[in-house]
Amino acid sequence: MLKVLIPTIMLFPTIWLASPKWLWTTTTAHSLLIASISLMWLKWTSEAGWTSSNMYLATDPLSTPLLVLTCWLLPLMILASQNHISPEPISRQRSYITLLASLQTFLIMAFGATEIIMFYIMFEATLIPTLIIITRWGNQTERLNAGTYFLFYTLAGSLPLLVALLLLQQSTGTLSMLVLQYSQPLQLNSWGHMIWWAGCLIAFLVKMPLYGVHLWLPKAHVEAPVAGSMVLAAVLLKLGGYGMMRMMVMLDPLSKELAYPFIILALWGIIMTGLICLRQTDLKSLIAYSSVSHMGLVTGGIVIQTPWGFSGAIILMIAHGLVSSALFCLANTAYERTHSRTMM
Amino acid sequence: MASRLSRIWPALSRVRLSAALGSRCVSQTPKSSASGAAVASDLQPVSPAAQDSHGHAEVSPFEKNPDFHGFHHHDSFVDEWNMKLAFFFGISVAIVIGGTFIHYLPDHGMRQWARREAERLIKQRESEGLPLMTENFYHPSTIVLPCSGE
Repeated sequence: MLKVLIPTIMLFPTIWLASPKWLWTTTTAHSLLIASISLMWLKWTSEAGWTSSNMYLATDPLSTPLLVLTCWLLPLMILASQNHISPEPISRQRSYITLLASLQTFLIMAFGATEIIMFYIMFEATLIPTLIIITRWGNQTERLNAGTYFLFYTLAGSLPLLVALLLLQQSTGTLSMLVLQYSQPLQLNSWGHMIWWAGCLIAFLVKMPLYGVHLWLPKAHVEAPVAGSMVLAAVLLKLGGYGMMRMMVMLDPLSKELAYPFIILALWGIIMTGLICLRQTDLKSLIAYSSVSHMGLVTGGIVIQTPWGFSGAIILMIAHGLVSSALFCLANTAYERTHSRTMM
Repeated sequence: MASRLSRIWPALSRVRLSAALGSRCVSQTPKSSASGAAVASDLQPVSPAAQDSHGHAEVSPFEKNPDFHGFHHHDSFVDEWNMKLAFFFGISVAIVIGGTFIHYLPDHGMRQWARREAERLIKQRESEGLPLMTENFYHPSTIVLPCSGE
């Protein structure tokens, strides 16, 4: 784990000490090397599932594909944004790549976290670089509104999660995923417990996003610059899916009844956002709504809690991460050449 | 092929751009003095959409540097080396070496072993005449049921 985390942190000195001529070359090469090294996580070394080098960071077959996806995405973001960021002053270019690298660091720590609180802190921490990228480097005036929607939707969902995690720590004494997967099913039978159940999941449902709380996504994706859209679509949405998969382990008996509204919303969202896609004129907005649709299917797969559902959700998350970021990249290519995002 | 493309690219880009902008073509033929100073169209500035982020009129970068790879607009040395390193680390290292590494990873989750073991056991049981699998997972004598009165 540290074999990848330390080079990622070393990206920061690389960015700030490289000469202006070679900034993009060195950061591209460095991040591609990190992406190549990250493939070593795919080597399955432990029968127990979790492979850990220390107490705080570990990988298991769920987080490994997402980690590799995250590491692969940083060089793609740098390649995609080189053209439109190069004209800016050099310190702003360095700040931009610093924000991308800091997102990478937070995401590696989020997917590798063994304590749920660490995951929560990194989950929140990824909001800040993303917000800065959207509001500072977006192209239209709506970017401020988009940043506000993005920030406050996610924060409003994650505050109940913090309370729920503190309650969990209080009742079970630990928040380590390694321990909680073997704990006895909790007695969950009162209204308070049901609210706790909802609190555990709402943050991730907003992040996925689920259809009813998806309004931040079209705004944020459209107003963000290409690298922001790529990282949002490819990895940040998957934080929600990953969090849900981890939390579902402990929420078990109650989920049988309480999951139905979310299954219905997810399925309805697939159809509705698919139809909305047909009416879009803005290319980026179309890709954003298609992301909502795909993530609705992932949400459905996770919430029904079957092994095939989980496997399908993971596969769809990785596939969508690769394809959606590539689509945003292509939309940006078209935008750079024609200066227009409308398809008419 | 690339050199052919780079030669026709300036003409292509001009044609496509003017079509995309809705044909704001301005006649460049010199006006005779009889038409007077009423023609103001060539005094109009270039439309902002046709300018790149520098504020210059849209000029193909291939005119200054016919081997432009897309990485650095002004310095062809940096542009070429950026292309070389991006392709080397991106394709030769990440995709080729990474792909080879993934191909030779050991049997993940022991799935191929499980398939081989199942085929071996099926062969063995068929040759011995045993059923492939017993109906009861647990031996029936070990199962303790509550008596029907309760």
